[in-house]
Amino acid sequence: MLTHPYKRLGGAFSVKSPSVPNFHDRIYSDHSSSDSALVNENPRVNKHHAVEPSSLGQVSPSEHDGNLSVIDLYGDEVDSQRGEVEDEDDDYNYNEDQDGAHSEDLDLAFAEGNLQHVELDGVAAATSKSALSDGVENTHFDRYGFKKQNNHISEAEYDRWWLDYSQYCVRRKHKWQLLLEKSGLPVTDDSPSRFPSKSERLKRYVRKGIPAEWRGNAWWHFARGQEKLNKNKGVYSQLLQKMKQIKEQNPNERQVQDLDIIERDLNRTFPDNIHFQSASYNKEGPPIIKSLRRVLVAFSLYNPKIGYCQSMNFLAGLLLLFLDEERAFWMLVIITSRYLPGVHNINLEGVNIDQGVLMLCVKEYIPEVWSYIKPSIDHHQKNNKTFSPSNNKVLFNMQKNEFLYRLPPITLCTASWFMSCFVGVVPIETTLRIWDCLFYEESHFLFKVSLAVLKLSEHELSKIKPRNNSLNYSWGSNLNQKNGLMGQEDNDMEIFQVIQTFPKTLLNPNEIFEKIISKGDLI
Amino acid sequence: MNTSVTSIKLVLLGEAAVGKSSIVLRFVSNDFAENKEPTIGAAFLTQRVTINEHTVKFEIWDTAGQERFASLAPMYYRNAQAALVVYDVTKPQSFIKARHWVKELHEQASKDIIIALVGNKIDVLQDGGERKVAKEEGEKLAEEKGLLFFETSAKTGENVNNVFLGIGEKIPLKKAEEQNNANEGESNNQRVDLNAANNGTSANSACSC
Repeated sequence: MLTHPYKRLGGAFSVKSPSVPNFHDRIYSDHSSSDSALVNENPRVNKHHAVEPSSLGQVSPSEHDGNLSVIDLYGDEVDSQRGEVEDEDDDYNYNEDQDGAHSEDLDLAFAEGNLQHVELDGVAAATSKSALSDGVENTHFDRYGFKKQNNHISEAEYDRWWLDYSQYCVRRKHKWQLLLEKSGLPVTDDSPSRFPSKSERLKRYVRKGIPAEWRGNAWWHFARGQEKLNKNKGVYSQLLQKMKQIKEQNPNERQVQDLDIIERDLNRTFPDNIHFQSASYNKEGPPIIKSLRRVLVAFSLYNPKIGYCQSMNFLAGLLLLFLDEERAFWMLVIITSRYLPGVHNINLEGVNIDQGVLMLCVKEYIPEVWSYIKPSIDHHQKNNKTFSPSNNKVLFNMQKNEFLYRLPPITLCTASWFMSCFVGVVPIETTLRIWDCLFYEESHFLFKVSLAVLKLSEHELSKIKPRNNSLNYSWGSNLNQKNGLMGQEDNDMEIFQVIQTFPKTLLNPNEIFEKIISKGDLI
Repeated sequence: MNTSVTSIKLVLLGEAAVGKSSIVLRFVSNDFAENKEPTIGAAFLTQRVTINEHTVKFEIWDTAGQERFASLAPMYYRNAQAALVVYDVTKPQSFIKARHWVKELHEQASKDIIIALVGNKIDVLQDGGERKVAKEEGEKLAEEKGLLFFETSAKTGENVNNVFLGIGEKIPLKKAEEQNNANEGESNNQRVDLNAANNGTSANSACSC
């Protein structure tokens, strides 16, 4: 499909984004020492780690802003007492490019190609030199190996945006460094594994983005992955052992249902990411695909209630870009059990619950958007624009029941936002920002993001011709009414298309996060 | 020349990875992507074509193929006028699944739904891949169940447009009759719907009392 210079590398791991450290094809057959190894493991310091984009490593001297003296790092209580309003930190100024804080000294060169300025380390230095020159020319991929261009964003648009956003990332990283230093957790190797205890300040820092290179460790920390792993020592290697046995017993492993579908989805996971493309590697295929297979199969054995559900390939795939295999596995366990319980089950029982809650939230918090997506069943609401739950509780409860039993068609779209935790729904940098907060703030953040995205889509929705509200329609209603329902259905479909497509254009994560902040912590 | 636009609601069903999304991508954008990502939930796309001087707007529901998403399928096919049931000519299991879908559609969907049975990935055969579902098998099933039948390659584009044209040709005839009826009875229709709405309203007020 597409050819790129990396192809010439013939499977060498020589060009990597710093956030793609864990592609070593490690099999956890010997687990005796892996626990401690994982605790202390610096996933960035391994022989495959090769390239450090300057955009993430360089800090302007003028970045030393004065607000640091007020940072209180040691207590949640003190911190929360301080309150967000009193905080003079410019953290709340999401549109940082207007705050004048950043310096002209910033090295802008990285914007021309994220591999332009690199630090090399260890073994990789030698192998990556030739690759590097390729990398410099090759600006088609972002710092995680994803193709910049897609159906909704051109490469030029991406580069224009990245010019600003990469500076933002540098500034944020510097603040994180100072925060950790102040917390007595100085960053010596650019791969901190310990983070300050939770606080309002830390929450704001997370909302503004965890430095890309630290993400794996930070997610693991905030999601309490180590706790989970410690309770399940050796489990992952046992699962791999079991997987091996099944393979031996069923030479044609495709007969086992989950294994068959997993196999079909492996190469369909991030086909536009260089690390997942077979063409870049030798016959054995990319190591990350092998890891993905093991994680997904191990999971299907670990949790038969879920087995394998499409969308988990995206969750595991993204985790593997930031974490080693075993930690990615446990993060997948945590996501599917703690954050999205029941959502991936064989009967998808959790999906309707979440979508019902989301629709309630839309109705309550963004009624202006609800007016587009609600099933047009309620004439009270139409006649009474000031309707709100508080002024008519009985009606609210009744209507609530109404649409919870017959969810609006749009939930067929928003359900996939939850199932894949926005992977593939919004551009990758935006997805990662969402994940930062998901692991820090837990599942309600998915609702917040969904509301923000829906709110942002309001303008697009308003362009749709007004529908004929006089028709009684609900999804899946009687076929006999078909002719009369056409107008209504057409409208629903147009709305569906907007909600389906619009999020893919949200290149700038701060656009969403501004909305989340401006809405406050309503939920 | 009839200037009206006929909308055809169409749903794609079939096992995972048989090429449902790729068929749609070929039809809508004349494009192909190797290793296309699995569809989570569903995607909705539209495409206008002219068939016999008639503009037809296809409104396409592309569904997720994995078994557990099948419970959502009735939402898509309930109001559909046409369905593509897709299988992979190199995967016998996908043909069995296609049989199941045809059965379910006949039992659950609109009585007059037009179903096309589509054996996809015939390019694999040209590349030396082994055919596992004979063309005759597909033809036989189609004949038995009254389906349109096509073998396609979303990759090369072979026969893909013919699937949609075939469906479009079958529907406008019906559609024209229906539209005449609909036009005559438009006010009537609307009144019925308003009544339905009013009923709902009065039920609501009854409840809130």
